[in-house]
Amino acid sequence: MSAFVTVTDLKKSFDVSPPFLERMIERKPRQFLKAVDGVSFSIGKGETFALVGESGSGKSTVARMVVGLLTPTGGDVTVDGISMHAAAQQTEREILRRRIQMIFQDPYASLNPRWRVVDLIAEPIRAFNLIDTPKGVLDRVSELLTLVGLSPLDAQKYPHQFSGGQRQRIAIARALASDAEFIVCDEPTSALDVSVQAQILNLMRDLQDRLGLTYLFISHNLAVVRHMATRIGVMYLGRLTEVSTSQEMFKSPRHPYARMLMDAVPDLTMSGRPRTPVQGEIPSPINPPSGCTFHPRCGFIADRCRMEAPVLTNGVACHAVEEGRIAPASRLKSA
Amino acid sequence: MAKAPAAGKDSPVLSVRDLKIEFVTRRGILKAIDGISFDIMPGEVLGVVGESGAGKSLTGTAIIGLIDPPGRISGGEVWLRDKRIDALPAEEMRRIRGKRIGMIFQDPLTSLNPLFKVSEQLVETIQTHTDLSASQARERAIQLLTEVGIPAPEKRIDSYPHEFSGGMRQRVVIALALAAEPELVIADEPTTALDVSVQAQIITLLKKLCRERGTAVMLITHDMGVIAETADRVAVMYAGRIAEIGPVADVVRNARHPYAKGLMGAIPTLESHSERLVQIPGSMPRLNAMPQGCAFNPRCSAVMPVCREKRPDPLPQGKSEVACWLFDSANKSAQKEPA
Repeated sequence: MSAFVTVTDLKKSFDVSPPFLERMIERKPRQFLKAVDGVSFSIGKGETFALVGESGSGKSTVARMVVGLLTPTGGDVTVDGISMHAAAQQTEREILRRRIQMIFQDPYASLNPRWRVVDLIAEPIRAFNLIDTPKGVLDRVSELLTLVGLSPLDAQKYPHQFSGGQRQRIAIARALASDAEFIVCDEPTSALDVSVQAQILNLMRDLQDRLGLTYLFISHNLAVVRHMATRIGVMYLGRLTEVSTSQEMFKSPRHPYARMLMDAVPDLTMSGRPRTPVQGEIPSPINPPSGCTFHPRCGFIADRCRMEAPVLTNGVACHAVEEGRIAPASRLKSA
Repeated sequence: MAKAPAAGKDSPVLSVRDLKIEFVTRRGILKAIDGISFDIMPGEVLGVVGESGAGKSLTGTAIIGLIDPPGRISGGEVWLRDKRIDALPAEEMRRIRGKRIGMIFQDPLTSLNPLFKVSEQLVETIQTHTDLSASQARERAIQLLTEVGIPAPEKRIDSYPHEFSGGMRQRVVIALALAAEPELVIADEPTTALDVSVQAQIITLLKKLCRERGTAVMLITHDMGVIAETADRVAVMYAGRIAEIGPVADVVRNARHPYAKGLMGAIPTLESHSERLVQIPGSMPRLNAMPQGCAFNPRCSAVMPVCREKRPDPLPQGKSEVACWLFDSANKSAQKEPA
């Protein structure tokens, strides 16, 4: 399968230095926060690629760079062969923009409260000049509302008249308004209740089946990710620690961090599966640990882990796995 | 009217009887909590789950007497051991709060004062509720921080809240809540603001500490996973009422009330690999538009004519209590009990 979206060695660092004067007086050096530090992956057409990790691992920063909301410090993103950041492909990119949309976490913040639903959903249609006649635009909005399970009559309402789940449906309708093929979803259901979350996840899967959408799905909830993703990338402090198919990942996670995340998920079936207690917390990305950034929390460290950062080989970035010091875990008998 | 629960070793720490809370607004009286009853035994963890707006947090706030006007308790009783606490004078309630009932809120950053060192906040709490001297209180504070698993507590005690990470901050909050050895701890979404890996640590800690001390816990959360891990019994709330209450294994694995059942099916799990999640259509009704009869009837797949007319009361079903007409004995012949 050829890749639809390719991310190569993507890097982003933010300048978090103290103000100029303070630096001069107190002789402080400039400081950079490496939010994303060399991330590469590709997404095939019609696939759902999920990025998981704790807060501060750089998931959302990757998402923002993929859609072009942030300029990377290094590396590149190409969608359907067109670079999202290279200056040479400016014109192609403007055409490409229509095909990429984003759904945000908080549907209370992502919809303008002063706009009616019809204007919110018609905005991409008008911005890209997709339909000329006002009647045509209205018809398209009605069609989209029906598609996401709302009523065409809802078009004249304001966002505050809807519940959280309905608002997220409006956000999805807006993302689909420009016939987008690639949708970046940044924690689309974290702000929703479970029963509503189920509705939205089902809707997103139905739409994918019907319209052949490609998703980049960001979430910290592993159970949601398991339900949605075909392939999963686990991020830790701005780096990918493991990339594999959803099945593989949940059956036998290889990287110690991925195992730890799996074990941290509360056991709803109460099958009494053994859990290793999780230790420590994610360190500050301003001053990350040397070598493998996970080594202070890892149970399999050797000297090499403290010195040398592992590279992603065969889908895992871990010295211990590479050297065969840890055997792949097999967690789920049934999976 | 309910009478005082019998005192004794097996008597509940907290007993809520037919509690009603309403909000008086210009557009009428909104019934946010409409007659809920439950007990919590010593050393027991009662999980309270439900979606936003079900009244979980409000119940917790009502128990510690922190409901702000226009909200008010309009009926029912709250008993802490043999003391009725729902209508105490403010000053007396203030002395119970912190001393006999500890509270843990969702966001550790807002429940700690950013301008005071952790030591000052802990020592103040300890001295308010005990006769310890300042230096003894400090020692006690260090001991508490050790218990909640903060490394190098002698040094960390003089840090400000912002110097701790999220998980560590929540540990400090737990230490604060347990400072006066309360009989009851109300934990309102204690792990919602935390990452999954840290969440597991905090839950284990909370459970361990309460078990050791025999503290009763009311754990309010929307996360079924947290409940399944922690609680002994669970109450599923919907629209200001308890839909089902019972032992956690029964409710999680074999929920009876259609809402509780739907709620369990809606949660994606690591083990299941079904294509679609169970979805409950619609969303929770607003307080000013409560449907007649059972509040869940417009979303229920097993709705019967009686559901639209009369409100079901919680009735015992095995070890649980379920408020649903499906389980009413009068209707039992018509409906089979789901497996």
